[in-house]
Amino acid sequence: MGGGAVTALISRATAPVKLFFGPRQTRRAFRCSALQPPDVPRLAETARISLSPKEVEEFAPKIRQVIDWFGQLQAVDLENIEPSLRADNEVGVDPRQDQPVEFENREAMLAAVPSYEDPYIKLPKVLNKE
Amino acid sequence: MPSPIQNPRLLLSHCRLHSPFPPKPHPTVSRHIHRPSRPLLRASSATQQPLATPSTTTPASSDILSVRESILSRRKTVTEVAGEYLDRLRRTEPLIRSFVHVADEEAVMRQAAEIDGRVERGEEVGELAGVLVGVKDNICTADMPSTGGSRILEGYRPAFDATAIGRLRERGAIIVGKTNLDEFGMGSSTEASGFQVTANPWDTSRVPGGSSGGSASAVSARQCMVSLGSDTGGSVRQPASFCGVVGMKPTYGRVSRFGLMAYASSLDVIGCFSSSVTDTAILLRAISGYDRFDATSSNHEVPDYASQLVSVDHFESKPLKGLRVGMICETLGDGVDIGVVSSIQAASVHLEELGCTVTEVSMPSFSLGLPAYYILATSESSSNLSRYDGVRYGNQVAADEINSLYGDSRANGFGPEVKMRILMGTYALSAGYYDAYYKRAQQVRTLVRKSFKAALEQNDILISPAAPTPAYKIGEKTNDPLAMYAGDTMTVNVNLAGLPALVVPCGVVEGGPAGLPVGLQMIGAAFDEAKLLNVGHIFEQTLQSNGFVPPLLTNC
Repeated sequence: MGGGAVTALISRATAPVKLFFGPRQTRRAFRCSALQPPDVPRLAETARISLSPKEVEEFAPKIRQVIDWFGQLQAVDLENIEPSLRADNEVGVDPRQDQPVEFENREAMLAAVPSYEDPYIKLPKVLNKE
Repeated sequence: MPSPIQNPRLLLSHCRLHSPFPPKPHPTVSRHIHRPSRPLLRASSATQQPLATPSTTTPASSDILSVRESILSRRKTVTEVAGEYLDRLRRTEPLIRSFVHVADEEAVMRQAAEIDGRVERGEEVGELAGVLVGVKDNICTADMPSTGGSRILEGYRPAFDATAIGRLRERGAIIVGKTNLDEFGMGSSTEASGFQVTANPWDTSRVPGGSSGGSASAVSARQCMVSLGSDTGGSVRQPASFCGVVGMKPTYGRVSRFGLMAYASSLDVIGCFSSSVTDTAILLRAISGYDRFDATSSNHEVPDYASQLVSVDHFESKPLKGLRVGMICETLGDGVDIGVVSSIQAASVHLEELGCTVTEVSMPSFSLGLPAYYILATSESSSNLSRYDGVRYGNQVAADEINSLYGDSRANGFGPEVKMRILMGTYALSAGYYDAYYKRAQQVRTLVRKSFKAALEQNDILISPAAPTPAYKIGEKTNDPLAMYAGDTMTVNVNLAGLPALVVPCGVVEGGPAGLPVGLQMIGAAFDEAKLLNVGHIFEQTLQSNGFVPPLLTNC
């Protein structure tokens, strides 16, 4: 599976400073690395959700509260524990053939497209501002 | 007809629940089913007046088998049965609002008449012929809208049926409608639906639980016989507990998820609701199995769960003799409602009386499961929900360039809880944060899996509450995400480990006009659904109860 490779790649990019003082003293050591509090407008842009200023104001304290609560896992000693991608119950033993199959209800699928001009899905202009 | 009966006790039993499900149904009366058909509105409880039936203990009986017997013996037609259910659905719906879409009556009646015709002509009918099913609206149905409870998909009609739906239809089931849910499954009370708030049939000022709240309340109010839900962190089990119905979360991979709108793919499963364990067993078998459209579905053999259920015999006082039950002690501590604790303790005593050995097991990683679950679920949702961009389907907000089209369509279509979870997940997956959040949560998942494995080596099943409280008031937790998330503490670990769990009603605590139900959660090893169903079935038949009929049905 490709997941392992992705994991390796990302962890190489981050490498947080982790000083190991023993099971009871790891909390601060891990948290001190470069974890910034959530910047809601920036996250919203990344997630492509146009938030109103009112929503930003309403969501920010709630999101921050939950992220702080996520932070409790930093205090747990997880040294040498392999991550589990999922439950892994006899899954993926018999992958299907890599062959295209015709979908029999093409018309209904195309009927769901909000803006369609046969044979294209119509979109506004694509600007790359970045 | 070959009979799958193997246990001679079945034949001695007085019990109404024992009928094994014939693999090849024959359109004549099954000889071994001879019991009075159960009134559809069951009564009653100590706290309310009975309607029509005597107020003796009524163990849950199978609606599916009862209807099957009625139609095959020609005492009733499917048309009549469907009419009764639709009529009750119409009467109760204004009070509880379980459905976001009710099937066209003509279409339901046409399907019913088609089955009646087959019975009339002596042709074979499917094993779910005439079974009326409610379907959580995040499961795709080709002939009805499928919105996932989200405005972004308002009016969307999928071009295909989910595999689970196809399997139900092939067996003769009739879909009566699409049930309400927290938008895309993100919530624990069904208040976060983009369309409406569903009420609990036990007390309409309370939530039905969530996110499959509509499916749970619909079965509780007998608006349908059984229903499908989905369970990412407890979304079948907690509403089953709140509404006093049986809820099954199968092993991860047991049921195909093709056609289930993805929330958190490493956790999502399709599950089922019924008013009896027998119906759960029949329904689960129908939807289980490998599907080439879902690479995570398993090849593991699907047993005929219902035929393996052992009926309680009057002469057998310890039907569960030797069963080792572990009670997870972390689930009965601080913050758990006192009524819930005493219901679970009473259930444990009841299991002991049935012959089980109950011991306490400690799972120190239990409390870590909740934050780990929310990190994984929000992260995966931020990725999965990127598909709702307003381009290929769903509601589009017109814009003059593509990024505004995406941003405005999503802003317009998603509700606040979905937006917040996507943003939290976006944060947790930010470049450089993977090790601190997602990876740590996956490491916790390893701890949780190991501790379940160890506990299930010492025990056959584990028990706990399905939720720390009974149903709470509508509006009570909507403004406090952490209070809402804390309600999932009993269930999320099971999803992290991918294990099956069955919730059966086990008690009623004070609250509302007639008390509020409490469910017992039984957790088994992977693919050990048959064991859970068997224990649940015996538990349910031997429990002194009123059959968990909500007061709504006695007043409506």
